[in-house]
Amino acid sequence: MRASTTRIAWRSLWRNGRRTALALAAIGLSTALVLTFNGVLRAYGDWMVATITGPMLGDVQVHAPHWRKDRGLERTLRNASATVAALRRDPEVAAASGRIFAPVLVALGDEGFAAVVIGVDADVEAHPMGLLASAPAHPSGRGVLVGRKLADVMGVRAGDQLALVGQGVDGSFANDLYVVTALIETPVDMVNRQALVMELGETQRLFAMTDEVHEIVIRARDSDHGTALARRLAALPAFAGAEVLDWRALAPELVSLVELVDVAWVFVLVLVFVAAAAGIANTMLISTFERTRELGMLLALGARPLRIVGMVVVEALALGVVGVAIGSAIGVGIVATFHRVGFDLAQLTGGGPDQISFAGMSWSLRLYPSLAVVDLVRTFVAVVVTALVASAWPAIRAARLQPVTALRA
Amino acid sequence: MRDPGRRGLMSILVVAWFVQPSFAQESKQPNVDTVLAKLDDLYRSKSSVARVDIVVVTPRSTRTMRVKVWTSGEDKALIVVESPSRDADTATLRVGENLWMFLPRVAKTIRIPPSMMLGSWMGTDFTNDDLVKESSLRKDFEARIDKRSSSPAGWWLTLTAKPGVVGRWAQIDLLVSDDLLPVEERHYDRKRRLARTLTFDTVKKLSGRTLPTRIVVTPTGATDKRTELSYEELALDVDVPASTFSLSRLERKR
Repeated sequence: MRASTTRIAWRSLWRNGRRTALALAAIGLSTALVLTFNGVLRAYGDWMVATITGPMLGDVQVHAPHWRKDRGLERTLRNASATVAALRRDPEVAAASGRIFAPVLVALGDEGFAAVVIGVDADVEAHPMGLLASAPAHPSGRGVLVGRKLADVMGVRAGDQLALVGQGVDGSFANDLYVVTALIETPVDMVNRQALVMELGETQRLFAMTDEVHEIVIRARDSDHGTALARRLAALPAFAGAEVLDWRALAPELVSLVELVDVAWVFVLVLVFVAAAAGIANTMLISTFERTRELGMLLALGARPLRIVGMVVVEALALGVVGVAIGSAIGVGIVATFHRVGFDLAQLTGGGPDQISFAGMSWSLRLYPSLAVVDLVRTFVAVVVTALVASAWPAIRAARLQPVTALRA
Repeated sequence: MRDPGRRGLMSILVVAWFVQPSFAQESKQPNVDTVLAKLDDLYRSKSSVARVDIVVVTPRSTRTMRVKVWTSGEDKALIVVESPSRDADTATLRVGENLWMFLPRVAKTIRIPPSMMLGSWMGTDFTNDDLVKESSLRKDFEARIDKRSSSPAGWWLTLTAKPGVVGRWAQIDLLVSDDLLPVEERHYDRKRRLARTLTFDTVKKLSGRTLPTRIVVTPTGATDKRTELSYEELALDVDVPASTFSLSRLERKR
């Protein structure tokens, strides 16, 4: 394309400055809105995944076959400490730890209550999104953490002594006294309602287990690669016969929740397509109508129709590119601002609770929007493609002008 | 004046009435109420003291416990573990619908909550609910004779839960031998799925009563999993003081 074409196109664009500015504002504003929305959605999606995987699910879990079905106490993974140590050396694994789940009868006085002992490695579970992220203390030895709702029902406070009765994995009778170190409130409803969180080694001792656990929970360095990690780990000899699953396979009902976010993004993008397309098509159509005589003159002077098409297309492209550039700058600015202060969905809904309970988990409503380069590129490409499509009609119309008729217009 | 011919006919009718069933079948069809009453009473009578060996078989281990059991009436029972020594003196007390457990190791008595009733009792294939609800077949079920069994010779009875009775079993199929001793029980849950099978064998005379001394419980679907009860001693209708079934007694060192 000749440089003169670009020059002419750019000059024509500013012949009616107000109209061009309006079109730019329309494109810019919708771009900025899309990016802002995109930022919030991205934060929402990331938050969802973090809320889903952080406290309980992890990115990948390993169990003995059938454990997930009946949670049988005897369905354990053997040689747990060696396996976990090997996992921790894996470059793609950020963290790995074992867990034990055992039903017990727990009593403060002589009234017994049904509960579940969860044996954990507290240091690993205390990461920022982890089960014990907000726990005031860690379980150790004979000290246990009690879920807040269970504690309320039982009337238990920190410092109380609890009697636990259960079943050892060898069929023996497991019972002992424990002291409540602290009450905990976690994002997982089941833990708040039923759990006594105990140190892993002590749990193994109580239930007569050797080096065994019910669950190995793994956090991947890159959450997006959890599925691939699960597939790779499943092939390792250490996990022969075990069930290795990523969180998508463990909680399929939550996958659709996250996928919904992507669908929402596509809807908004389509809306912006339409807005940008209408703005560009309208601007270009009117500007070519206005310049019918001028275009006729160019054709009469020997300009080929293709060059006229080029001019109109470059004009539309310039409009789109400048618009999307301005919009991106504004959008990035908005997202950056909200990224620092957070975006409170609760306030949008009229100052309700700052978290909601759904699918057995608590979800925070304060989001921290963020954008990836891919979001900017996607929006840029979308607007450019729209500009090309929208310029087709005015460009074809201009190219088909008869010089004589056009000059008389 | 009596009509001798008529009297003769009456006599024949009466005789035929008594004789007819035994002509028609090899063994007299038992009266269901009699069977249920006998089964309800078999191992406990008005009161009982027994020593029972319990073997719990799981794919992972085989464990043996010896317990001493006191019962009185249909709704009072005390079970105390005698061996292994590690679990010795662990006790379970049932009074009516309530179940307590005494744990000597932590010197504590705990009442089992309703939500734990379907949990295993001391790791066996019996649930806590079995100890509380196993009160009366007669009270909870409508029974009818289903069919004749040839080997072993006896009768299959079908017991259906009476409407309004809240229990785990919707139906129990029961095989009793001709001498009215239990041979097999099949328990069906509320969805009419076979949940477990009880078999009774090793018929012996204990305390003057002939009964199967071994009961094996096999849960459906679990392989290599069963619980065997063997009555080693049984004394029936002995004097069991009411104070046996009290919380204070539960905690006292026996």
